[in-house]
Amino acid sequence: MTQFLQQLVNGLSIGSVYALMAVGYSLVYSIMNFSNFAHGGVIMFGAYFGFFGLTLLKLPFAAAFALASCGTALLAVLIERVAYKPLRDRRAPFLYFIISAMGASILLENIVIATIGPTFRTYPEILAREPINLWGLSIGRLDLIMFFVSAVCLTGLILFIEKTRIGKAIQAAAYNMKACALMGVNTDRVVLIVFALGGFLAGIAGVFFGMKYTVYPQIGNITTKSFIAAVFGGLGSLPGAVLGSVILGIIETLVAGYLSSQFRDLIAFVILIGVLIFRPSGIMGKSAEDKA
Amino acid sequence: MDWTYIQGILMLAGINLIAVLGLCLLTGFTGLFSFGHAGFMAIGAYIGALMTVPAGVQAGSIGGLGLPFVVGIVAGGAAAGVVSWFLGRITLNLKGDYFCIATLGFGEATRLLLNNVQTFGGARGWPGVPQYSTVWAVLVVDVLGVFFLANLVKSRHGRNMIAVREEELAAQIAGVDVFRYKMIALVVSAVYAGVAGVLFGHYMSFIQPKMFSMTKSTELTIIVIFGGLGSISGSVLGALVLTALPELLRAFSIWRLVFYGAAVILIMISRPQGLMGGMELTPSGLRKARAARAAKARLKADALREAGGGDAAGGKA
Amino acid sequence: MSANVLEIRHLTKRFGGLAAVNDVSFAVREGGIMGLIGPNGAGKTTIFNLVTGVYKVSEGEVEFQGKRIENLDPYKIADLGVTRTFQNIRLFKSLSVFDNILTACHLSAHYTIPEAILRLPRFRREEKALNEKASALLEIMGLTDRKDVQANNLPYGLQRRLEIVRALALDPKLLLLDEPAAGMNPDETEQLMRLIGEIRERFKLSVLVIEHHMDLVMGICEDIVVLNFGQKLAEGKPDAVSADPKVMEAYLGSSGGNAKC
Repeated sequence: MTQFLQQLVNGLSIGSVYALMAVGYSLVYSIMNFSNFAHGGVIMFGAYFGFFGLTLLKLPFAAAFALASCGTALLAVLIERVAYKPLRDRRAPFLYFIISAMGASILLENIVIATIGPTFRTYPEILAREPINLWGLSIGRLDLIMFFVSAVCLTGLILFIEKTRIGKAIQAAAYNMKACALMGVNTDRVVLIVFALGGFLAGIAGVFFGMKYTVYPQIGNITTKSFIAAVFGGLGSLPGAVLGSVILGIIETLVAGYLSSQFRDLIAFVILIGVLIFRPSGIMGKSAEDKA
Repeated sequence: MDWTYIQGILMLAGINLIAVLGLCLLTGFTGLFSFGHAGFMAIGAYIGALMTVPAGVQAGSIGGLGLPFVVGIVAGGAAAGVVSWFLGRITLNLKGDYFCIATLGFGEATRLLLNNVQTFGGARGWPGVPQYSTVWAVLVVDVLGVFFLANLVKSRHGRNMIAVREEELAAQIAGVDVFRYKMIALVVSAVYAGVAGVLFGHYMSFIQPKMFSMTKSTELTIIVIFGGLGSISGSVLGALVLTALPELLRAFSIWRLVFYGAAVILIMISRPQGLMGGMELTPSGLRKARAARAAKARLKADALREAGGGDAAGGKA
Repeated sequence: MSANVLEIRHLTKRFGGLAAVNDVSFAVREGGIMGLIGPNGAGKTTIFNLVTGVYKVSEGEVEFQGKRIENLDPYKIADLGVTRTFQNIRLFKSLSVFDNILTACHLSAHYTIPEAILRLPRFRREEKALNEKASALLEIMGLTDRKDVQANNLPYGLQRRLEIVRALALDPKLLLLDEPAAGMNPDETEQLMRLIGEIRERFKLSVLVIEHHMDLVMGICEDIVVLNFGQKLAEGKPDAVSADPKVMEAYLGSSGGNAKC
C-alpha cells in the first residue's frame, strides 16, 4: 500500500509539471484554435536558460528560475510576432499556423544543436539529497517543490483569468475573436498576453524538467505528451488540461513502477487512441457541431 | 564531383519523392496534414526487410524470410496501408486538429515501439538489409507513382478530394462521401510512404528507428508545401531541390535544419502557395494557368469599364 | 404517394438547453416554390441543416418523396435529390468556374478509381459526358464566358449564381436556397426572381427559399411559412400571410413591405 501511495505521489509531481506544459498549450488553443507545436521548443529553452543561469551566471536558484521563465515568456512572444501574427493578419487557415509552428519547433531544436551542441547537461545539485518523510512516504524535495510551485502557478493563472479584466478579455476572445475585436478589445494585446503567460509557465516547466531529468535539445518531443494530456482533458479547457496531465502523470508512473519502465512513454499514446475512439472531446470538453 | 556522388543524391531524392507524392495526395489535394508519415515509412522499411533479409545464420543477427525484392515492396506498402486504415477509422471523422495530433502521436509511437522492442534490433537497428535498391528501381517506382497520382487527380475522384480540401461542408452537400475520400487519400499516401521506406532500407542496407523521426515526417510535409499544395510537379521539384541542396551544402550540415525551420516560417508568412502555387508544369497545366490569368484580366477590364461609364448596376470585381 | 416533395413533421432541434427549432411541421408541394421567412435567428437555416443532414434531429421526421431522410449522411441525401446553397457562399474558391461545376457533376458518372487510373474506355466516355454536361449548364446559366475565372474572383452576384448552378449539377428534385438575394440591388433581385422561375420550369424541380427580400418572396413564392423563435407562426398564400396580424407584429413590423437585412 505504501508503495502504491508512493507511486501516486511521484505521479502527481510529474503530472503537475505536465500540467504546466499542457496549460500553456491549451491557452493558445482556446484563443487561436490551433495546436502550437512550437511550445515544446520554448519549454526546452526554459531548461537551458535555467541551466546556464545556474552554471554560467552562477545565479541563486530563484533568480535562475525568474531568468528562465521571463526568457521563455519573451521567446514565446517573439515566436508569435514572427511566425503567427502575419498569418493572423491574413486570416490564413489554421493549418498554415501548424506548419509555421512546426518550422519554429525545428528551428528552435536545431539552433541549440548547432550552437551549444547536443550533449546532455545535468543541473547542478541545488537541493539536499535526502527525501522528506511525510506520513510514512518518502517524497523527494524536488517533487515536493515541483508540485507546490505548479499548484501555485496554476491557481494564480486561473484566478487571473477569472478575476481580472484582462482575464475576462481572454475568455471573451476564446469564445469569439472577431466579436471581441468589434467590442473594442485590443485582440493583438490579448494574444500577446496569452503567449507570454504560456511561455512563462513553459519556462518553469522546463527548469523543473531539466532538474528532474536532464537537459537536451530534444526535450521538445516530450511535450507531445502534454499535447495529448490537453486533448485528454479536453482541448481548450484549462482545468481539463490540468486534470488530464495529472492523470497521465499518475498512470505513467504506476505503469513504470508496476509493469515496465520501457513502455512508460507509450502510455500517452495508448491514452490518445482511447480518447479518440471513445470520447474525442476529452474529459471536460464539449462536443461542438459545426454551424453551417 | 563524381557520378557516384550525384547518383547517391538522385537516389535519396527519388526515394523521398515517393513518400512526398503520397503526402501530395493527402495534404496537397485533400487538405489533411500529417506529421507522422515517417511512421509509415518505418513500417514499410521493417516489413520489407523482414521479407527480404535471408534467414538468420549467425547468433545475434536478425533473420527474415529471404524473399525477392518485389515481395518486400508489396508487403511493406500493404502493411503501411493496413495500419493507416485503422488510424483513419479512429481519426478521420473528427476535426482536422485531432487528425494532426493523432498522426504526430502515431509517428512517435511507432518510433518508440521499434526502439524498445528488441526483435527488430531495438534502438541499434537492423543491419544487413540486402542492397536491392538500384537507380532504375527507384526511377521506375517514381514514374509509376507520378502516373497513378496524376491520373487519379484528373478524374472525378481526384476532384472530389480537392472539393474536400476547398470546402468540406459544401462537398458533403454536393454528394461527396467525405469520410471515404479522406480514407482513400490516407491509405494511398501510407502505401506510397511504405514503399518509400522499403526502398530506403534497401538502399542504406540497414535501418534504425531514429531514421524515421518526427523531423523526417515534418521534412516530407515541408517539401509538399514548398512545392505548392495541389501541384504534382511542385512536389517533384520540391523533392529534388530540398534533398539535393542540403547534401550539396554538406559543410553546413548542422545548420541545415536551422535553415529548414526558418525557411518554413518564411514560406508560410510570405508565399504560402509555394513554388508552383497550385499550377502544374505540364502543357495542359500551363494552358489552364494562362486561361485563368486572361479571364481575370478580362474581368478587371469589364469592371473598370462599367465603373468608368457611371453605370449604377455595375458588378463588383 | 402524396403530391408533396418534402414533408417536415414535428421537427425539433435542441442545442444544449435551447430549442433552435421547436415542433415545426410543413410541406413543400411538388413543383412548387415555397418561401421560408422569419426574423434572424428564427431557425430557418437550422431547418435547412436538418433537412440536408448537416445536423441530427432531436425529434421529428423529414420525408422526401415519401422516403424518410432525417439523420442520413449529407452526401446520401444529396444523392437522393436534395441540394442547397449557403448563406455565406461556399464555393470551391481556388477552382475555376468550370471546375466548380465539373466537380459537382460527379454523381452522373460511375467509373471506379482503377478505371480512372488506367484510363479505361468507361472513364474516357463518362469523363467526356461530364465535361459536356458542365459546359451545357454553364451555357444555360450564362456563365460560359467566365468559365476560366477563379471562383473567388467573380463578382458577388455571379458567385451566388454559380452556387445555384453547382446545386443544379446534381440533378436535384428539391432545391434549397439560403438567402440567394443577400446583398443584391433591386435589378439583380429581379433577375434572380426570373432565374428561379426558369430553373423550376426547365429542370422540373421544387424550390424552398429562405429570404429577407420581401419583393422576391412576394414575387415568386406560391406558399409561405413564417417562423419565429424556432416555431411556426403562420403558413399559407403570400397575400394571406402578409395580412396576418401575428406575422405583421412579429416580423414585417411597422415598416410594412421591404424588410431587408
